[in-house]
Amino acid sequence: MGSPCELLVDSKSDIEAAALADTVSTEAWRIEDKFSRYLPDNVVSRINNSGGEVVTVDDETANLLDFAATLFEMSNGRFDITSGVLREVWTFDGSDRVPSKSQVEQTLKRVGWDKASWCRPDLQLAPGMQIDLGGIAKEYAVDRAAMLAAAGSGDACLVNFGGDLVATNAPKGSEGWQVGIDALGQDRNIAQKLIRLKNGGLATSGDARRYLLKDGVRYGHILDPTTGWPVIDAPRSITVAADTCTQAGMLATLAMLAGPEAESFLEDQDCKSWCLR
Amino acid sequence: MKRKNSKSVAATLTTATCALLGTTTTTPVNAQEEHAWEFDTALLYYGEGDSRVQDASVNLLAVRNFVDDRVLSLTLGVDSLTGATPIGAVPFDGPQTFTSPSGLRVKTRPANEIPLDDSFLDTRVAFSAGWQQPWGRLSSFNAGVSASKEYDYLHLGANFKLAHDFNKRNTTVSLGLAFSSDELDPVGGAPQALTSMLDVGDLSNRLGSQSKDVLDVVLGVSQIINRNLVVQLNYSYSSADGYLNDPYKIVSLVDPVSGDPVPRVPTPGVDGPSHEYLFEGRPDQRTKHSIYGQAKYYMNGKVLDASYRYMTDDWDVDSHTVDLRYRWPFSGQSYIEPHVRYYTQTHADFYRTSLDSSAPLPAYASADYRLGEFDAITVGVKYGRQLQSGNEWSARVEFYTSSGSVPADLLIGNQAGREIYPDLNAIIAQFSYSFGW
Amino acid sequence: MKKLIMIRRALIAMLLISLAGCSSMGVEPWERDVLAKDEMQLIADPLEVAIDEHIYFSKEASSGGRGFGGGGCGCN
Repeated sequence: MGSPCELLVDSKSDIEAAALADTVSTEAWRIEDKFSRYLPDNVVSRINNSGGEVVTVDDETANLLDFAATLFEMSNGRFDITSGVLREVWTFDGSDRVPSKSQVEQTLKRVGWDKASWCRPDLQLAPGMQIDLGGIAKEYAVDRAAMLAAAGSGDACLVNFGGDLVATNAPKGSEGWQVGIDALGQDRNIAQKLIRLKNGGLATSGDARRYLLKDGVRYGHILDPTTGWPVIDAPRSITVAADTCTQAGMLATLAMLAGPEAESFLEDQDCKSWCLR
Repeated sequence: MKRKNSKSVAATLTTATCALLGTTTTTPVNAQEEHAWEFDTALLYYGEGDSRVQDASVNLLAVRNFVDDRVLSLTLGVDSLTGATPIGAVPFDGPQTFTSPSGLRVKTRPANEIPLDDSFLDTRVAFSAGWQQPWGRLSSFNAGVSASKEYDYLHLGANFKLAHDFNKRNTTVSLGLAFSSDELDPVGGAPQALTSMLDVGDLSNRLGSQSKDVLDVVLGVSQIINRNLVVQLNYSYSSADGYLNDPYKIVSLVDPVSGDPVPRVPTPGVDGPSHEYLFEGRPDQRTKHSIYGQAKYYMNGKVLDASYRYMTDDWDVDSHTVDLRYRWPFSGQSYIEPHVRYYTQTHADFYRTSLDSSAPLPAYASADYRLGEFDAITVGVKYGRQLQSGNEWSARVEFYTSSGSVPADLLIGNQAGREIYPDLNAIIAQFSYSFGW
Repeated sequence: MKKLIMIRRALIAMLLISLAGCSSMGVEPWERDVLAKDEMQLIADPLEVAIDEHIYFSKEASSGGRGFGGGGCGCN
């Protein structure tokens, strides 16, 4: 997942808590192993090395691809799991190495879910295309882990994978789990806002840690797949609360992609959100 | 992103997510942002029996929590005070007439009743502001100012406190300092101590405005004993300098045998006091020491709060205060909290019921019942309830009753058979509402 | 004089308590759930404490002890 993952449980039993931790971590690793683009022999790697051939996928992968397809349409092409190849020209390491226009244009030719053919359960990418499920898999893993934990026990749980989290219940005698939204700038250990989460998901999309800085212009790491460049004038950080972590994560991403319209987009969705500019 | 599509996004997303996760519905999210401001408001009524003091007040406490444990606190209170208070003169079996504090008129009080002064109508406004700031990882620093104004009294103050945690934050040591600079401007002017109450229009023994300075030092240590028990121990030192008299209180001059007030020869054609009265006089310095201990104990949802304070000063007053509260929650949202307080004090060494008219005047004398010897008990109960929104209201009713005893050697003649010390019965009623914003 | 001796003794006791044996008493940071509750704070309701302090200050000869804040008044 690329970030620290934790499970908080309000339980009277050491054994139960350990069992839940086991369930959650097993599921997290299972999903990571299956969908990480860094591992050599999982379904994603098979797809990315298919060289234009048809790949038949299992049910779980098909669900994720269906979900990605819906998001592609819903966002008019701005949410696109084939946009991962743009990382070949964009490296968000805080330096000033911004790619040239022609570099981006060349790479953009290999981006576009509409260039792929998805007919469940068969996926066929055009040669040179790659898929990256990083934008969905983490939130999906949080929700899956929480569902398994809830099925295993009635204890209040908070599953937190690097800031994308879901709560199944509030700890006894309190209004909810206390979650802090990171401040931008120097001291990231001081929470900017404090939220009490009783149940539901919370996800954050933002450039607090990954960006490029050149000539005084800050390039956030959310790329617009239709242009190949970072979204212009997006908030520095968006946190959304929704029924599930997946929904929260997608809403945060979609809001980021809306750039200057982020706040009004979130208002239209009638969900609790916090944008920091 | 086309705006007209926005509204359907959330619904489509929900359906898509349910398909992804294999669920049919999702539990609605419940996330609340912590309030930046917390407000406590209280309406208070205080009323004594026998047409004595009545007070109604509105109080507000506003607390703003900032990032990284910095806190701003503001308080505002407005009191409206009416009613009468014992003036310090002894009762006897005849009426008595007194000049009012302004010196403009006289008032007559009936026989066989402790004389009260009822020219009491005052509004007081009090304000304070405080700031708390962390200082390093384990310490914190507080600074604050306070001010209050009544028509005859102005208070200005500043306070500071330093606190340090150690032992994994199980122990906290703190040192606090408060300075007070008060100014009194009594109606008619502050009377010179132990001089006579004069005729209407005669303000020759009155002085201009007076001042009083107070320094308070508090040294405290609090200690967590275990998961359910925390205790605190404080030592306080207080030093007051300046005009410490109550400018409206008097002491009767009495006959050494009968103990009855000595009649006064009136000035022809002018109204004035019927008997000889002297304005009280207290030392111009007072030093107090207190030790205060408190324990809070959690027993499976219920909380017991017990405290004890011992005070001693160089006016020879010693007091003990024991305070017990038991908070008892029920039905998850509400609680009931009975409260009992016991207080006892000895009288100041210059406390007198009256002065022997044939003896030389002492250096200091006061008949103020609040410097006398008495026991007081408060019994009350509070009910509180938390609302859906997280806001809370509470209501409490308490009965405060005190009864004094005058040592035999302070009673002269007929006073022994009379009710000299004014006992007190009062009701305290308060309604509070707390909310965040 | 006797009272001052008692007070001096109490002060010394306080000093010893805070310096010496407290390292054995207390809780770990994760055991502070109960102590963090509003109702377990030493001053749980600052407004009510201030109101009571003011009432008793104007009716009795003692005041304070638990700290200070807010103003004086012309009532004692």
